[in-house]
Amino acid sequence: MFIAPNAISVGFISMYLPAIYAGLIVGFIGSIAIAINRREIHILILTDIVGLAMLFIVAAVGTDLAEALILPGLVVELAETLAISEILLSREMHKLEKDKRRTTSLFPTPFLLDMEVMTTAPNFIALVLVVYGMFLTGFTGGAVTGGGILLYAISRKARGLPIAVFDGIGGVSGIAWCLWLIGFVLFFVMPQFWMISLLLAAFGLLLKVASKVGLIGVLMKEDLENEGGN
Amino acid sequence: MDFITLGGNSLGTIPLGDIVLYLTPFNLFLFGILLLFTVMIAFSKPEIQTEASLGGLSNTEVKVTPKEFKQRRFLSVICGLASAGAMITGDLFNFTLFMAFVGILNIGIVSAVKQTSVLNSAFNYGLIAMMCSLPLFGGAAIVLASTGTLSLFELSQMTASPMVVFGILLMLLGIIGESGVAPFFASKAEMFRTPGSPFLVIIHLSSLFIIVRAVEILLLVLV
Repeated sequence: MFIAPNAISVGFISMYLPAIYAGLIVGFIGSIAIAINRREIHILILTDIVGLAMLFIVAAVGTDLAEALILPGLVVELAETLAISEILLSREMHKLEKDKRRTTSLFPTPFLLDMEVMTTAPNFIALVLVVYGMFLTGFTGGAVTGGGILLYAISRKARGLPIAVFDGIGGVSGIAWCLWLIGFVLFFVMPQFWMISLLLAAFGLLLKVASKVGLIGVLMKEDLENEGGN
Repeated sequence: MDFITLGGNSLGTIPLGDIVLYLTPFNLFLFGILLLFTVMIAFSKPEIQTEASLGGLSNTEVKVTPKEFKQRRFLSVICGLASAGAMITGDLFNFTLFMAFVGILNIGIVSAVKQTSVLNSAFNYGLIAMMCSLPLFGGAAIVLASTGTLSLFELSQMTASPMVVFGILLMLLGIIGESGVAPFFASKAEMFRTPGSPFLVIIHLSSLFIIVRAVEILLLVLV
């Protein structure tokens, strides 16, 4: 029934059907939960569970081709979640605009927690993420580092402090691009220095992705300021 | 079923490694029509609706602001190109990706409107589309696991095993939900009720064409 090379052990192949069943059952349970629950934000979260069950089934194939399928699947899933939550948000905004009595923010309760950990922990977590990302290098490292920068920016923004770190980010991105290109060219010109070219390319990619994710934070800050100005 | 039986004379294949694009009059016709519509949409102006105002004799114009208009036109053109890609592709997974892309773009086209009811139905349509990505991608993955290929050219030469039939039917369920036809059309039909007509038509057109192509793929793989 399945096509699998002889090198793959029987035990691994026999996991395929249970994985598919698990995916389908998780999807089914998620759908039932959506049918029962009537609150929209819960429905959105539960829909994500159904989407994750899709990843089960795709990942069950377990070849390198499956990995090529998982990444677009994951991206599509994320994009749809973002699009739907954006629609939900803009709809609530329109409702608030129409109803003049309700002038509260989207955050339901007053947020007055005066604890020291609220100010120190984000910085620490951001630092850990950045350092961990440096060690990882490459695409994943860039994403982790960028996440750390983003967390730092958001936490500073939430406390009303100025963010002045990211103005040189365009320059960093350009340097990263050059590093990546130099590494790439070195690979072909001097293959014996493969280690240094690999590191150059990986470091360039890290800076590139980190600056991209960090840029999201800057854009978000600008958006917030524009809305505040209006 | 062989693709010549369905699409008329084969005009040749473009082998790109594992993925083999095949050109038949059927595919080229769908592809060309969608490209034509995309070009028409790219160079058309939005309609202006007039609404009779309640309790008076005057009419009010419902206009689309230039910013919203630009965003909608951009997304509509992308949506047209994605559906055109789904018409010509020779790879099962590319087809599912184009399908999911069209689904997201459909939400995006109406995301900037002001009407709460339209946003509401777009939200509901988005939920259905997201849930249906499970059968869509899952079905394609099951077909891949049970045949070892995603190329429609190769799949049309094979006889379908029960697992392939299961996978492709699961995929059909996903396509139906993602394009919002038959049982899932309720919320999608409501999404149209907003000014800006030529761009909204692509929402309808893309799902129509994709269903036609999906039937072709179904027949290719199953029969």
